[in-house]
Amino acid sequence: MSLGGYHFDWSAVLSGQPLDWLLHGMGVTLELTLLAGVMATLLALVLLSLRLAGPRPLQWIGAGYITLFRNTPLAVQLLFWYFGGVVWLPESARNWLNAGHQLFGIGFPSTELLVGIWSMGLFTAAFLAEELRAGVRAVPQGQLEAARSQGFSQWQSLRLVILPQALAHAWQPLVGQYLNLLKNSPLAMSIAVTEIMYQTSQIESFNFHGIEAYAVASVIYLLLGVVLSAVLTSLNPSPAGLRSNRRAD
Amino acid sequence: MLTKLFYYPVIHENLGYILVGNLSQGEPGGLLLTVLLAVSSGLIAILLGFGLALIHWFAPRWLQRGLWLLSEVVRGIPLLLLIFWLYFLLPMWLGRSAPDAVSVVAALSLFNAVTVMISILAGLHALPAGQREAAQASGFSRWQTLRLVLLPQALSHMLPSFVNLFVALIKDTSLAFIVSVPELTMISSQVNNREQVYPLEIFLFAGFLYFVLCSVLSLGAAQLERQLRRNK
Amino acid sequence: MIRFNNVQKHFGDLHVLKDIELEVAKGEVVVICGPSGSGKSTLIRTINRLESIDGGDILIDGHSIYDASRSLNAQRQQIGFVFQQFNLYPHLTALENITLAPRHLAGLGKQEASDLALGLLEQVGLSDKSRHYPSQLSGGQQQRVAIARALALKPKILLFDEPTSALDPEMIGEVLGVMKSLAHHGITMLVVTHEMGFAREVADRVVFIDRGQILESAAPQAFFSNPAHPRARQFLNQLLSPLHLAGETV
Repeated sequence: MSLGGYHFDWSAVLSGQPLDWLLHGMGVTLELTLLAGVMATLLALVLLSLRLAGPRPLQWIGAGYITLFRNTPLAVQLLFWYFGGVVWLPESARNWLNAGHQLFGIGFPSTELLVGIWSMGLFTAAFLAEELRAGVRAVPQGQLEAARSQGFSQWQSLRLVILPQALAHAWQPLVGQYLNLLKNSPLAMSIAVTEIMYQTSQIESFNFHGIEAYAVASVIYLLLGVVLSAVLTSLNPSPAGLRSNRRAD
Repeated sequence: MLTKLFYYPVIHENLGYILVGNLSQGEPGGLLLTVLLAVSSGLIAILLGFGLALIHWFAPRWLQRGLWLLSEVVRGIPLLLLIFWLYFLLPMWLGRSAPDAVSVVAALSLFNAVTVMISILAGLHALPAGQREAAQASGFSRWQTLRLVLLPQALSHMLPSFVNLFVALIKDTSLAFIVSVPELTMISSQVNNREQVYPLEIFLFAGFLYFVLCSVLSLGAAQLERQLRRNK
Repeated sequence: MIRFNNVQKHFGDLHVLKDIELEVAKGEVVVICGPSGSGKSTLIRTINRLESIDGGDILIDGHSIYDASRSLNAQRQQIGFVFQQFNLYPHLTALENITLAPRHLAGLGKQEASDLALGLLEQVGLSDKSRHYPSQLSGGQQQRVAIARALALKPKILLFDEPTSALDPEMIGEVLGVMKSLAHHGITMLVVTHEMGFAREVADRVVFIDRGQILESAAPQAFFSNPAHPRARQFLNQLLSPLHLAGETV
């Protein structure tokens, strides 16, 4: 295959060692994205509760966390946790991590991958929490009034009336943030996490077929994005008439 | 004693390098380069995005779909991958090697130009249909309608989002560190490799610089938004 | 049943409720009217404490609504409130809007609550819309569901805050019809409205409020044929013949 004078050699990327590397990279990307995603979701829910129902000082801590993690680049955060954060762990913990273990028969994530998951989880949580908060703010004031005047407590009003509507408003933007998590995962290559981009760089220095490698990587990311988006969108619990039309940007 | 918690001297010793890189040798770096990369990418992105939006507005269906496809691909792949692509393709297109920083600016500009294009089109479509109808009823051509009636309204709504664009750009320039462009993150990493034992101080300080820059811009955008709403 | 004792309320410098003295008997239907900004909405919103007061007291059944020994939520469950903007819960069907409170506040089971709600929907003429979402209903239908929702916990008091002001003219009648059918069946009703026809036909008493003060309180017959207070007269003139210039009388 030829394009603009460059001769494409797909076998250089889709067979032998390069293929193994790419497949391994895909596995790591998925592991990183899914585990960081779960962590970010749980943390975002905690942050949301702090901001909605916590006492004043906790509200500020929640708001401060979100501001801090949203206004610094992920790259710096990764480097901070990798070089700086790990030193905070006691000696014994670090040794345990480096020893390597078996988890359900597959390898326990490497220290680098764990740091990647930790850092990206913290980072993404801030964005998820902010989208959730925007969703809550989009619910009209009259809804809370109606619920309270029926005699529901503040907590019941949030749970039964406000949050379901907030989720409906926020669902598409939230899906967008998970997609961002997928697209941010390559940054982990800077701390030696062997995800897809790490592998394409390896292929490039191995047999100089960088273009083919990048093309395959692009297709993989686009497909993963489409699948992730479709799966998450289908999980939307809101009734059809209430779903937001906002694009998952 | 405070230096036990945060060894400030390591920052102090490297401050010049962190802020402006090897400026004295004609190689801007550090915070200065970060700002230069962000500003140049942002300006190109806005101009290019504006152009793309105009093309889309007057284009036949097939071209509109082509632009849409371009935007899906450019925004669907990781930004880092886009940088790698341009790192490879630019020398081929230009016929000569390009400095790494140019690939980064090209990638950031392209990515954000597409965002700007989508934003402007969304802003135009969000205007009440009556605006376009009223203008056309008065006899304005499509171009005049756009220039005199629709764009002024759409763009003024969008000013805060343009400022937010720069906030995102400041953060995205940090990707350049993976291709060894000496902006703030890369330089912090270099200083850390040299000093070895002060990662906390170094990366906290770098984070702090980004934080201040982004927060100030974000507050500016919020202020702008409030001003616009009051002027309505 | 409901008693206002010298109630005062300020919004900053603005004295929005001034020396309010009002007594509403059990089962009475009272219409509250007045020009915009008069404080009429604020007045009824103080009864279920959607608005606070700065002076005086409000008593329901002889007990102050600010009595700390009584839970606010429990008090509110005895009062039904119908909003100008309906405020139906958009993520729930008409039936679910009505069953929400009985299930979570009155401990009713799913079937019990459903039967109750269907009965109420029938009462307001919308039994075929039980599975519709608010977005699928017209304004008049939404407001009728809102009234059914307000009745779900069998309240002793029903408050209406301009229930038809957000409706297209052709739907006002269906809502007023439902309100009329509820009147004089034991429930105490306070209605803030501009609909003078309703006041004439259904109300036991009309209360006129202007600039935060109650200026007149009389039976509809007396109020409409011969209003005592000059501002009440002016208000009625403007309401009944809108092109009328200020100052002229009927």
